[in-house]
Amino acid sequence: MPTSLLPPAAISHLTAGRSQIGTSLSFHLFFAVLGVGLPLMMVVAEGMHLRTGDPVWRALALRWSKVFGVLFAVGAASGTIISFELGLLFPRFMAYAGGIIGLPFSLEGAAFFLEAIFVGIYLYGWNRLSPRAHWLSGIPIAFAAVASAFFIVTANAWMNVPSGFQIVHGQVTHVDPLAAMFNPAWATETSHMVLGAYLATAFGVASVYAIGMLRGRRDAYHRKAIALALSMAAILAPLQLAAGDLLGRTVANHQPATLAAIEGVTRTEAGAGLNIGGFPLPGHNGDVLNVKVPHLLSVLAFDNPNAPVRGLGTFPKADRTPLAPYVRLAFIGMVGIGTGLVALSLWYWLRRRRGTNGPEDRWTLIAVGAAGPLAFLANELGWLVSELGRQPWIVYAVFRTSSGVTSSPGLGATFTAFTLLYVALTALTIWSVRRIAARPVAGLPAAAVEVA
Amino acid sequence: MSLPALIATLLGVSLTVYATFAGADFGAGILDLLAGYGDADREAIAATIGPVWEANHVWLIFSITILFSAFPVAFSALGTALLAPLTVALLAIVVRSAAFGLRAGPDTRTRSQLLLSRLFGIASVVAPFAFGTVAGGLAVVSSSRGLTAAPVPHIPWAGPFALLIGALATTLCAQLAASFVASAVVRSGDPRLVESFRRRGLQFGALMLSLSLVAPAVAATAAPGVWHSLIGPALPIVVVGLGAGVLWLLALWSRRYSVARGAALLNGAALLWGWFVIQDPHLIGSRLTIHSAAATHAALGAIAIAGGAILLLVLPAMYLLFAVFARPELEVIE
Repeated sequence: MPTSLLPPAAISHLTAGRSQIGTSLSFHLFFAVLGVGLPLMMVVAEGMHLRTGDPVWRALALRWSKVFGVLFAVGAASGTIISFELGLLFPRFMAYAGGIIGLPFSLEGAAFFLEAIFVGIYLYGWNRLSPRAHWLSGIPIAFAAVASAFFIVTANAWMNVPSGFQIVHGQVTHVDPLAAMFNPAWATETSHMVLGAYLATAFGVASVYAIGMLRGRRDAYHRKAIALALSMAAILAPLQLAAGDLLGRTVANHQPATLAAIEGVTRTEAGAGLNIGGFPLPGHNGDVLNVKVPHLLSVLAFDNPNAPVRGLGTFPKADRTPLAPYVRLAFIGMVGIGTGLVALSLWYWLRRRRGTNGPEDRWTLIAVGAAGPLAFLANELGWLVSELGRQPWIVYAVFRTSSGVTSSPGLGATFTAFTLLYVALTALTIWSVRRIAARPVAGLPAAAVEVA
Repeated sequence: MSLPALIATLLGVSLTVYATFAGADFGAGILDLLAGYGDADREAIAATIGPVWEANHVWLIFSITILFSAFPVAFSALGTALLAPLTVALLAIVVRSAAFGLRAGPDTRTRSQLLLSRLFGIASVVAPFAFGTVAGGLAVVSSSRGLTAAPVPHIPWAGPFALLIGALATTLCAQLAASFVASAVVRSGDPRLVESFRRRGLQFGALMLSLSLVAPAVAATAAPGVWHSLIGPALPIVVVGLGAGVLWLLALWSRRYSVARGAALLNGAALLWGWFVIQDPHLIGSRLTIHSAAATHAALGAIAIAGGAILLLVLPAMYLLFAVFARPELEVIE
């Protein structure tokens, strides 16, 4: 092997493998999130066109479908990378887990199949089907996209709260595929992820058109896009708060070491307070800008103001995440952004009820413009909380990440190659989407796109 | 039929559909590369695969999920022993999908379009070649009768037989694509275009023929285990494959494009099933068989039920997809 391709020896074999799959997943997550959210928005917009006959809705659905076509191609490719990488990077984990948690992956295959088939019909069928049939062909896409996310996240939930099998003399036995899939974390983790995807897409779309309005394009096209996106956000954002709270209880009950890392609890406390802030900066003991609300963590986690919460320091060093400060930072970031987005969508909704078009002042538009990237950041941070918070385990308290990595050499080279590929794909995707956005909006009367 | 054999058959069917239909999509990339600046040819290629290639690609994901759910130990061994060629294949698949998805159209007017099209073409050559070397290397180690000590054997994916299969796989893809595109443009009625793809098809047919003549000599010297299977249990499939190959050439020569497409599919399927018979019952090397590498009975049962349900759901939808795009366009709005 040419040694010039290898990064510095400081990057260990395991770190290279983890970095490669981590990079792949965080790249894919962006496309997966839009892949779940955009079909619903397309279907709603096209449905509004069928109902009202307003050509602006059709123009929006058409434009979103073009963007979706590009994102779906890149998302399908990056998803393929992950299905290979499970075997190429973590073969010993797959030899162990494949027979237990393979079922949701196979079912995800079915959902992906239906999605790809109807994406073909929807994207290329605008002129081949009646308007109604075309709209109907979008509905399976929206359903299949959610189903895909659901199945994949049940597998992730199993890694966090493994169940549905026994280990006898080091061998996996008594496998119950349905019990593994419907493990104790399935409901809370999947609903949190699907809502997160819908919200990020909604804020992402609103953000694009808010920036357009800031640049002076205040027309019906932009207004309708923002109204649809932020209505979706206003309905779903409060639900996400509830889903996040329930998922927190799941973690508290099944992943005590992860809970301690997330909440920044170092010593075991009876009637633990909730740390708000408490940034784990180097040289400080997790107490930077901290406000501690007495007993609240015990209430939130266990419904009992005096319930003890185990501190991270009480776990053996080998069994607790070495990345606790990052887990805490990611969690603070996710919750902080999420709370801000809930406030923003409620603000927009309240103001819209009074007026007709919703607030269009400069600061509201700037806030909405910033909300899109932040919502995607919150999704990525949430995923980091799940993955880094589970370390050093790949399957919590059962199978260590270091035991799963491949014995093949050369991970430094593959990590370098795939990182370069992702950089190139990101640049190409941005270029391609911008080119779609730069095209004039087709099929609209001039009044709809004129400055109002 | 035992449960592992049932699922291995399901895996075989899924791989066959992937190799032939997605193979035609790879071949489309190869034809796109060879068409140079011929925008009309490249337009016809893009129109043929545009709506269907994503769905065809899913057969690969489906195959991988069956493999790792039903035969996790074999999936693990494959990933370990074939890290290099599978990484190359994977990079090529990704570059091809992204380049085709991101380029807005097949025209060569702008430099960015041209660059993406060339990436699409080159990656479409690399992916089937890399998969072919993997299949060839696996056939060599899995057909040799000696038991190896190592649980994960060394796989000669860069040996002469594997390279030959790589070339054969790439040629097959181009042959499939030429048949698919030719039978699609026959309906649109541009005789010059039809002739152009017919000529390409005949060129790849000649290449296929010469590779098939070299193949027995290479197999007999470099892969004796494969050779014994080919003239033994796999012989009926070899005969079917040869027959389909000849029928394909004749059909293309006499301009019967639907027959040519069917013969090309049969030819590809025969190549795949010949490989499966050579492998049977081994998945990788001579120690991991479909029985020894199988997951627990409960897991296999779940996969079998899910797999059957998936086919019931997917096949009608797939038919709908191909049927919608076999119809002419209604009107042009945009």
